[in-house]
Amino acid sequence: MGKLEGKVAAITGGTRSIGRAMAEAFLREGAQVVVNGRDAAKGEQALAEMGGGDNIAFFAGDASTQETNEGIVDFAVERFGKLDIMCCNSGGVRETAPVAQMSDAEWALEIDWNLNSVFWSMRRALQHMIPRETGRILVTSSVEGKLGKPGIPGYVATKHAVNGLVKSAAQEVGTLGITVNALLPGLIETDIVRETGPASAEMMGLPSYEAMLELFSQESAIQALNTVEQVAAAAVMFASDAAANLTGCLFAVDGGTMPY
Amino acid sequence: MGELSGQVAAICGGTSGVGLAIAQAFANDGASLMLSGRRAEKGDSALAELNIGDRAAYVQGDGTDKAHCEDLIAQTVARYGKIDILVNCAGGSKDNAPVAELSDDAMEFGMNVNFWSSFWLTRAALGHMIPQNYGRIIYISSVEGKVGKPGLAAYVAPKHAVNALTKTVAREVGTLGITVNALCAGAMDTPMMRESGPEAAESLGMTYEDLLGWFAQESATKRLVTVEDCAMVASLLVSEAGAGMTGGMISIDGGTAPY
Repeated sequence: MGKLEGKVAAITGGTRSIGRAMAEAFLREGAQVVVNGRDAAKGEQALAEMGGGDNIAFFAGDASTQETNEGIVDFAVERFGKLDIMCCNSGGVRETAPVAQMSDAEWALEIDWNLNSVFWSMRRALQHMIPRETGRILVTSSVEGKLGKPGIPGYVATKHAVNGLVKSAAQEVGTLGITVNALLPGLIETDIVRETGPASAEMMGLPSYEAMLELFSQESAIQALNTVEQVAAAAVMFASDAAANLTGCLFAVDGGTMPY
Repeated sequence: MGELSGQVAAICGGTSGVGLAIAQAFANDGASLMLSGRRAEKGDSALAELNIGDRAAYVQGDGTDKAHCEDLIAQTVARYGKIDILVNCAGGSKDNAPVAELSDDAMEFGMNVNFWSSFWLTRAALGHMIPQNYGRIIYISSVEGKVGKPGLAAYVAPKHAVNALTKTVAREVGTLGITVNALCAGAMDTPMMRESGPEAAESLGMTYEDLLGWFAQESATKRLVTVEDCAMVASLLVSEAGAGMTGGMISIDGGTAPY
């Protein structure tokens, strides 16, 4: 008997990196899962690789848009009859820069992709969960939701913002059987980080991508990067019925990086 | 075969309340256990409840006693050959009063049972964990390790100190396969709470029920947390995935602590 037997989860992103690990862990624990990505062909390929059969479905759409973030909730309800677990997971940067050089377009993208996306999917999910008086909202935040680093101001600001959103929403629905929590991973070498990392490293004033990995790693107590499996294990716990009393948490999976 | 099969855990204050719940969770996952607690009859009943034969043993003692803390680690290693997991559930306070009227004895007791026990146990356990490059240390701290309540300085100050110990030790042994975390639990209706709660409530000018209600009202869920909540998080921390989680002051408080 899995910990998430009979549950339905939706994950923005979810075809790779942290979201993918969550999807795989949720499937193992007996949940039905909707994952999301921009490219339908890649989505179908991810589904095939995950092997969830009828228990997994793909919702195509750009996770930085309102349409996708609301659509995934509606899609999950339509496909599987309800939504128990909303993972507001997708996020990132495209062409980050120090504040002085930050473009309006990048800033707007990061606000949409990292902050508004969480608001849109959370709001839609809560509207479905509140009448049912049960639900789990899990936001993929970051160690940068509590700290700050030069060169990634949009990421840092939006991750701080979603932590605030989590705390507010947790208080709003605390007596309704709904929990709202954030997972704050340290740096994980995901596909996305491999793609955008070299440019981010340059904007952070670092000599190389490897130097950026080293910087994050050195900040931790374990002197190592984290893994998507570690985040997924925490996600399973927070998503389970047993975690009814855990809410408003900013839960670090960062090898001891954050001071508080 | 559980995930903790072959692993050895020492749990100070493991015969009732949150300690026993953690013992049960670890036992279910296959760990071998050494429990300690003040009262032998509770030790016997805990072993009977766990019902895992040679995989559990009890040693009588008190977390305020340095010799006992060191003996618990020594006896764990003597019996099982090693120690992988240390959980300190010793805690409490007595003779609570506002600081202006707080006695040395009350503060000393609070520091001993909450903080010094954690230090003594940790130092002794690290002597075995560091050479084996593996360990999991978990303190039962409190929401009062992050925030303060008037009249409870003898509890609040040592729990903050436990959190400080968590952060420091996590940094010291982070590359050695050893993680150190504090569970910052909200109020639980446990034997310890029932023992020290009424007096604490009285010193705050309220009834025991009012005290529990006060804690519940501060949370988002408007209810107390349970020992099983702590056991669930402890299980995550001692799992393979726990390797990436250290130095944490993990809130298990229904959304009470502000950070």
